[in-house]
Amino acid sequence: MSVHQATRVTGSAPPAARAEPPAGRQRLSRRRSGQWWVPWLFLAPALILFLYFKFIPMAQAIGMSVQDVRPYLGNTWVGGANYAEVLGSDGFRSAAWNTVVLAVGQTAGSMILGFCLALLVEGQTRKLTFIRSAAFLPVVVPLAVTAELWRIMYHPTGDGLINQVIGLVGLGPSGFINDPQTSLASIAVTGIWRGAPYDMMIFLAGLAGIDRGLYEAATVDGASTRQRILHVTLPGLRPVFAILFVLAAVRGFRTFTEVFLLTNGGPNGSTEVVMTLIYKLGLEQSRLGVGSAGAVLLFAATLVLTVCVQLLRRRRSA
Amino acid sequence: MTMRSFKVLAAGVGIALTVAACGAGGAEQAKQDPSAPLELWTRTTPGGDGEKGMKKLAAAFEAATGQKVEVTAIFDDFETKLSQRAAQKDLPDIVMNDSSQLGTMVSQGIVREVDLASIKGSDQLLEPALAAARAADGKTYGVPYSAQASALLVRKDWLKKVGQTAPANWDQLVALAKAFTTQDPDGNGKADTYGLAVPGSTKRGYASWYFSNFLWAGGGDFIAKQSDGKFKPAMTTPESVAATKWFRDLACRSKVVQPGAATMDTPPTNETFEAGRTGMYVVGPYLMPRFDSSLGKDKYDVVPMPQGPKDATVLAEGGSVYLMAGSKNEAGQNAFAGFAISAEGQKLGMQGEKAFIVQLPVNKSVDVTTVRPDPRWKLYADAYREHGRYAPSIPNWTAVRQSTADTMNALIADCGLDLDAELKKLDQKLGEALSQQGIGAS
Repeated sequence: MSVHQATRVTGSAPPAARAEPPAGRQRLSRRRSGQWWVPWLFLAPALILFLYFKFIPMAQAIGMSVQDVRPYLGNTWVGGANYAEVLGSDGFRSAAWNTVVLAVGQTAGSMILGFCLALLVEGQTRKLTFIRSAAFLPVVVPLAVTAELWRIMYHPTGDGLINQVIGLVGLGPSGFINDPQTSLASIAVTGIWRGAPYDMMIFLAGLAGIDRGLYEAATVDGASTRQRILHVTLPGLRPVFAILFVLAAVRGFRTFTEVFLLTNGGPNGSTEVVMTLIYKLGLEQSRLGVGSAGAVLLFAATLVLTVCVQLLRRRRSA
Repeated sequence: MTMRSFKVLAAGVGIALTVAACGAGGAEQAKQDPSAPLELWTRTTPGGDGEKGMKKLAAAFEAATGQKVEVTAIFDDFETKLSQRAAQKDLPDIVMNDSSQLGTMVSQGIVREVDLASIKGSDQLLEPALAAARAADGKTYGVPYSAQASALLVRKDWLKKVGQTAPANWDQLVALAKAFTTQDPDGNGKADTYGLAVPGSTKRGYASWYFSNFLWAGGGDFIAKQSDGKFKPAMTTPESVAATKWFRDLACRSKVVQPGAATMDTPPTNETFEAGRTGMYVVGPYLMPRFDSSLGKDKYDVVPMPQGPKDATVLAEGGSVYLMAGSKNEAGQNAFAGFAISAEGQKLGMQGEKAFIVQLPVNKSVDVTTVRPDPRWKLYADAYREHGRYAPSIPNWTAVRQSTADTMNALIADCGLDLDAELKKLDQKLGEALSQQGIGAS
């Protein structure tokens, strides 16, 4: 193990700092006086909650995924049968594909729209504060309410709100969530409407961290607005993009509520995603083993995605 | 993610799998306490009339026996929440839920077998209702406390407007649905009315649940029982195909079904009827109080289901008292079930204009007209006794209902789909589900 690695693991100060005897001695004396547990004490409430409500249930789900779960008759070990059933169910492949399409669509849409919104509302004036808060509203509205509102707006006849709007330019009426051709896109639009303001907020935080001097220098050099965004803003937001991408992709993989409330996977399975399929197989039919196997597969997919993004980032920064 | 985190994760997975491999123990009777309060779950809207009715019954039971009952009403995702409680090995003592949930609960092992000898008054139960509480193994796992069947609700004022009478057969039903859709029966000058309300969502299998009234009247079936007691998929028989085609044409050809039916479960479908968007609706009696107050009793008629190509069979359903496994008070469970089916309990359950929980009595000695003089109830009672048919008792009816709902939903949502090919696919799926449950005929 190299010195660099050692410092990383122990979390201690870099070697240069360690050369200063006072700091080193202080830390040693702190350890001897038994204060190493202080940070753990602060972490304890969160850790206990996480352990009880997250990690233990996760371990149980992994256990249940290899069993035929019948709590009152005794669970029986079935090995990979539950996984085989989930992977082999005729809906799984199309649900996995729909999930990927929806995740990519919602992630890209939310990020682009969020970025545009952030550029528009960046600034210090009071009016902008109000507009920022208003734009953030879709995020805080409960998803159940959002879904019901969109269902009303998506009404599939010419009387429907959105159909009336697109009717003004001679389009429609569209079936939206009731038409297998347009249902997935309609759900993606609902997701983007909800996700974009969240991304906007993170972009705003990122924009605040970009050195104003760079903009001024670019302006002096005669850069246009488009060039300033391209050569100053976007490179400055690179870390924000990475964080948002992971967050949004994980969110996209776990899409459930809007699909469940708007279409429940229909019509004709056109909006079935992995989560609704797990729900149907596992909970509606009371087969918890099968549902757990689906959940573990989804967890594995999310884990792989996150690790890949981390590795890519590390390679870039190395 | 570092190597160390990977190791921690791998260790966690290893431990979880090892624990799982060791397996869990089977069911044991919990230590009995005859004075323990009974926890009762009922599938109805919290704060609604169903809950009030159930509390009334529980209070009467408590007054009669001194036994405490705590009522919890849950409507959304009832079965899901029950599964969660089962996973925690902490079930309520009593569950009042659809009779069609029996198979699923039995295969889960979360209900205990009912010894009818220890349920007072069980000899007074109607046979069809009792048969629906028997599982595939011939044993009884529930005590029916209420029954219901479907009938047709028709807008009375609309009938007058289009100059027709209530339909007596399928052809008349289609003709009337077309008139309701095209002749502006509400007179508002807009083409915003439709003939038939259909909850065509896949949620809880609604599309299949609604369609069963038409499939059976058309002589078709989801699955057909063979002489050896096993089942065969039956959605590709000529009768089933014809009934499916007829039903689909309502949505695709004559376009008399409300728009958006493919994504609607019952709540939004109910709203289309009471908001004057749809003129006919096939439902059980439990919606009458709601429509009486929202729409007005004088605005709609209840008529028997129109005769199909075969007969006028309708879906019979009901509620059962399920005695859940692991209860600390089995004597209390038995006593409550006995009270719910007694003449007193049945009459109490039927009382009131709204907060009633017994639709039609299952006790032979109780006549619905003595408590409810309204002739519409008599019509429902006749429909149940003469034409009612329950879903078959198989280990997991939910799987069959879900698959057929998926297909029906697809057919009404996408009018370009090849009906025969979809039904062939459905039969294959049903065949797999039946074999999985060990009841597939070879």
